[in-house]
Amino acid sequence: MRYFQTVLNACADIGKGLWITLRTMVKPAITVQYPDEKLVPYPGFRGVLLYDAEICISCSLCVKACPSECIQLESRKNEAGKRVPKVSWYSLDVGKCNFCRLCEEACPTKPKAVWHSRDFEAVFSSREEMVRYWRKGTEYPGQWYDPVTRTYKPVAGQVSLQTVPERILY
Amino acid sequence: MTPAPLRTDQLFVNLGPQHPSTHGVLRVGLTLEGEVIMRAEPDIGYLHRGTEKLSEIRGWNQLVALSDRWDYCNAMGNNLAYCLAAEKLLTVEVPERAQHLRAVMCELNRIASHLIFFGTFGIDIGAFTPFLHAFREREMLLDLFESCTGARLTYNYIRIGGVMRDLPKGWPDLCREFLEFFKPRLQEYDTLLSFNPIFLDRTKTVGHISRESALNWGVSGPNLRASGVKADVRKLDPYCLYAKYDFEIPVGKTGCCWDRYYCRMLEIKESVRIVEQALGLLADGPVMAKGVAKILKPAPGESYGHVEAARGDLGVHLISDGNTAPYRLHVRAPSFMNLQILQELLVGQRMSDVIAILGSIDIVLGEVDR
Repeated sequence: MRYFQTVLNACADIGKGLWITLRTMVKPAITVQYPDEKLVPYPGFRGVLLYDAEICISCSLCVKACPSECIQLESRKNEAGKRVPKVSWYSLDVGKCNFCRLCEEACPTKPKAVWHSRDFEAVFSSREEMVRYWRKGTEYPGQWYDPVTRTYKPVAGQVSLQTVPERILY
Repeated sequence: MTPAPLRTDQLFVNLGPQHPSTHGVLRVGLTLEGEVIMRAEPDIGYLHRGTEKLSEIRGWNQLVALSDRWDYCNAMGNNLAYCLAAEKLLTVEVPERAQHLRAVMCELNRIASHLIFFGTFGIDIGAFTPFLHAFREREMLLDLFESCTGARLTYNYIRIGGVMRDLPKGWPDLCREFLEFFKPRLQEYDTLLSFNPIFLDRTKTVGHISRESALNWGVSGPNLRASGVKADVRKLDPYCLYAKYDFEIPVGKTGCCWDRYYCRMLEIKESVRIVEQALGLLADGPVMAKGVAKILKPAPGESYGHVEAARGDLGVHLISDGNTAPYRLHVRAPSFMNLQILQELLVGQRMSDVIAILGSIDIVLGEVDR
């Protein structure tokens, strides 16, 4: 008799759990159909780093602030061989990046020369593509240097959410 | 005349390193006799990243970003433990608003972390639905974190001398809204899983940790409290402004798997209370202490800071020799200590209960191996 009591009790409690499941089933789905619909991250989201060579004063504070050493740069030199506050080239390794915003906070220019975009879809098909270069004349969002053909190529396979390079001012 | 008992050959079974219930890459070598476990050896180190060695090269400020990666389910607690230790060395006074913000973030993160436990423990036992419910609520929490810190898992929010930035506009209201939504969900969890007789049968009878053995093995956090020891760093050695908040420490009775599970569920309730109080006490003011340089050079000395992280007593021991990087950083990782008790706990248990026990201890392998 007690055995049947236990079985009945267990069934009743399974029913309770299933009732909650059933109640949730009739509610509208809260998931987002990803490739078709996309959620836009909040302002201040730390996405893939962007860089502006026009604003940069080549102080290399971001290089020192980075905990994973993913930033490298070289200052431009004038005819006399003296360094001027402009970059000759600037490279960012997205594969090494921690997305910690220490470089953005260290940047002394206003607006920031290096900042986190809201782009979260960083998709690459090779390691070389993760390293992005900025040189004079190249365009947003940076290009990668192909060591085989020795040319700069745009990052393929990456859909950018952010067409305007927006950044927070603080 | 009774026949001599049959001898079973001992069998060695590898649990992991790739097993969905090991919550990471953990290998447990089990020696079985029939279905009963004779010996259990946890084999760790698959996720070793050398954070402690790395911190001898990296600067003081950069280490906050690395501390996120110890226990990635509870990154705020890690940040706080490291910052408390570093602030003791630098003798920095943290503003009051930043203290409250730290408490809010740590408690919200504790809720998020315990929700992962709730979901994955259900999966380990064989209940899949609670996982979906837990992650629905966790998603809202992560959205709160994202709008405030800019990241969803590795926040890098609590910094030496304060916090990264102030709350965005309307954040406290959003947070209160979430808490109101969340409170009735806890009852739903109880109906779904906590008092389900099948779940009770599988967890109430296995994995008893006695008070003495818990203390001897150095277990901390909810695992220790489930054995009946009322030990919580937030009460014993209050950091931030925890002395101002009114909250209880839930304790269990027998130290079985279910007690460890239910302790965490009760802790979520207490965390909700703390967040509400801390949000009420938020006053305007700076969120960062003045005079914290970008490149720090603390005076030579030692310091120790510890917090009640989601998994237990997380301590950071720092030694400075006056350089731009610590001379030595040591992490007292709660998961690492809690994991060791498996050697004693699993002996004599049945093979089918291993997953329940392993899940109830709630380890994060990122913290075990660092």
